[in-house]
Amino acid sequence: MAIAEKGAAVCRAAPVIPAPRRRSPWPALRHFVGFGLPGLLVYACFVLAPILLSVGYSFTNADQFKPHTRFIGFDNYVNLLTDDAFLTALKVTTILTLIVVIVPNVLGLAVALLLDRRGWLYNALRGVFFVPVVLSSVVVSVIWQAMLTDDGLINTTLRSLGVAHPPGWLSDPQLALYSIGFIISWQMLGFCAVVYLAGLQGVPQELHEAASIDGAGALLRFRKVTWPMLAPALTINTVMLLITGFKTYDHIQVLTNGGPGTGTTATLAFSVAQTGFTANRTGEASAMALIMLVIVAIVSTVALRFLQRREVHL
Amino acid sequence: MSNDRKMQQASWARPLGALAVTALFFLPLYLVLANVFKPGKDITDHPAAFPWPPTLDNLRAALGRPDRLFWNGLINSVTITFLSIVILTVVSAMLGHYLCRTRSRLGRIAMLVLLAGLMIPPQVILVPVTDVLRLTGLMTTIQGIVAFNVGYYVPFGVFVFSGFIRSIPMELEESAQMDGAGRWRTFWQVVFPLLRPATASVLIFLGVWIWNDFLNPLIILGPAGGTTVTVGVYRAIGEHQQDYGQVFGLMFLAALPVLIFYLALQKHFVKGLTGGAVKG
Repeated sequence: MAIAEKGAAVCRAAPVIPAPRRRSPWPALRHFVGFGLPGLLVYACFVLAPILLSVGYSFTNADQFKPHTRFIGFDNYVNLLTDDAFLTALKVTTILTLIVVIVPNVLGLAVALLLDRRGWLYNALRGVFFVPVVLSSVVVSVIWQAMLTDDGLINTTLRSLGVAHPPGWLSDPQLALYSIGFIISWQMLGFCAVVYLAGLQGVPQELHEAASIDGAGALLRFRKVTWPMLAPALTINTVMLLITGFKTYDHIQVLTNGGPGTGTTATLAFSVAQTGFTANRTGEASAMALIMLVIVAIVSTVALRFLQRREVHL
Repeated sequence: MSNDRKMQQASWARPLGALAVTALFFLPLYLVLANVFKPGKDITDHPAAFPWPPTLDNLRAALGRPDRLFWNGLINSVTITFLSIVILTVVSAMLGHYLCRTRSRLGRIAMLVLLAGLMIPPQVILVPVTDVLRLTGLMTTIQGIVAFNVGYYVPFGVFVFSGFIRSIPMELEESAQMDGAGRWRTFWQVVFPLLRPATASVLIFLGVWIWNDFLNPLIILGPAGGTTVTVGVYRAIGEHQQDYGQVFGLMFLAALPVLIFYLALQKHFVKGLTGGAVKG
C-alpha cells in the first residue's frame, strides 16, 4: 500500500518517470546479500556470538587451569554479588565515573567560555586543549606517571618549596583513585570544551543583546540564555564521559595495576580483564562482564533519556 | 568614560587569562617534549629546564633498539589501522545504505541490534572473542585484530553513515537507476561521493581510536604476534622504569603520527565531532 502510494506521488510530481515496475523479491535479496550481509556477518561473529558465548560461560565454572567445566547455574552471579572484591570494584568504578563526568564537564565549560572569541590566538589555544584527546591513554598515563611518582616533578617541586612529606599521588591508597580521575579529566577536558564551544556558537547574539538591554547581568544572562542553549552539548558530553569513566582500563593497567594495596583502583573493566586473562577464570569473568554490560546499558539509557527530556523542555 | 576603561581592561585580560590557563594545561606536554631532547641525567636533575643544547640521543636510542620495538610496532600499527579503517568505511557505508533503504522488519531489528553494540565495552566480549579467533585460526595475527576491529566498530560507522544517507533524497538514486546504473554503480558513483563529510569523520575517529588502542592488540596479538606502537610504549616502561629518556623518545615517536594526522585534519575533526549532533 505505502509503496504504491509513494509511486503514485512520484508520478504526479514528475510525469516523465514511468510507474515503477512490480518488485520481485530477488533485487531485495541481492541488496541484502551485497550491501547488508558483509557488515552484519562480521558484527555477528565478533560481537553477537561473543556475547552469547559470554552468557553461556557465565553459567559454568569454566577455568583454564581446571579441566572439568560444568554447568553451575547462577552460582557465579550469586558469588559475585556477595564478593567483597567485586563490590569494591563497583564502588571504585562509581567514584571514578562521578569524577570523570563532573570535572571535565565543569572545567570544559569554563574553558569554552574563556575561549569563545574569534581570532587566530583562540583557535590555536583550542587546538592545544584537544591534543590529549587524540593521544593514546597509555601515552597520557606515562606522561602523568613521570609527574606524579613519589620523586616526580610535582613532589620535587613541593620538596624544594619546603614540604617535607609530599603526598604519594599514585602510591597512597587513599589518593591513587583521585589522581587517576584527575588524569582522565585532564585528557577529556578538551573534548568537552570543543563540544561546548560548538554549542556556544549556536547561541544567537540577539538574545544576549536583548537580555542586556533588559538589564540582565553577565551571570543572569549565562543562566537564562547561554546555559539552556547548551543542553544538547551537555547531553553529548555527559553520555560520552559516563562511558569513558565506566570503561576505564588502560590508565589503571599502566599506572597502578589495581593497587596500591588491594583493589584500591581496580575498576570493573580492569577486574574483568584481570579475572579473564591473568587468572583465566573464564566463567567468573563472563558473569562479571555481563553485570557490567547491564549496568552500562541502564545508566547510559537513563542518563540519555533524562538529559534529552531537558532539551525538549526548552 | 568609565565604560571605555572597562572595555580596555577586558581586551587584554581575556587573551592573557586564556594564555595562562592554556599554559598550565599544556605543562605536562611541555615536560615530555622538553625531556625528549635532553640527556638522561638532565631529566632527573632538571626536569623542567628547557632542553639546551637539544640532543637527539633519546630518539636515536628508541629508533636503534636491537629488538626493533618501534619499527616493528610502527609497521603493525600502520597496517592494522589502514586495513581496518578502509574496510570499515566500505562495509559500514554499504550496511548503512542497506539499513536506511530497506523496508523489511528485519532491517529495522538489525539497526537496533547494531546501535546497542555502541555501548558494549570491549572487556565484555574479549574473552569469547579470543575463542572465536582461535577457532578460525586468526588469533595472534594481524588479520585477526583487523577482523575484530571491523566487527567491533561497524556500529559506529553505520551510526555516522546512516545519518547522512537519510538526508540524501531517494529520487536521486531512483533516477540513476532509471538511467541504467545498477545498485552497485549507483551507490559508488552517486551516493558515496555525497557522503564525504561522514567518510571523513569515520576515517578520522576510527583511525585515532584504532591507532591508540591498547587492550585489544595486547590480548589479540599477544607476545607472539608482535606489538603495535602503543603496546610498545607499555612494554618499554616495564623495562626502563628509571630510564625515562628512552621511554619519552618512544612515546614521542608513537604519538607523532597521530598528532600529524590530527593537525592536518583539525577542521574536519571538530566538524565531525559536532556535525549534526550540536545544532545549538
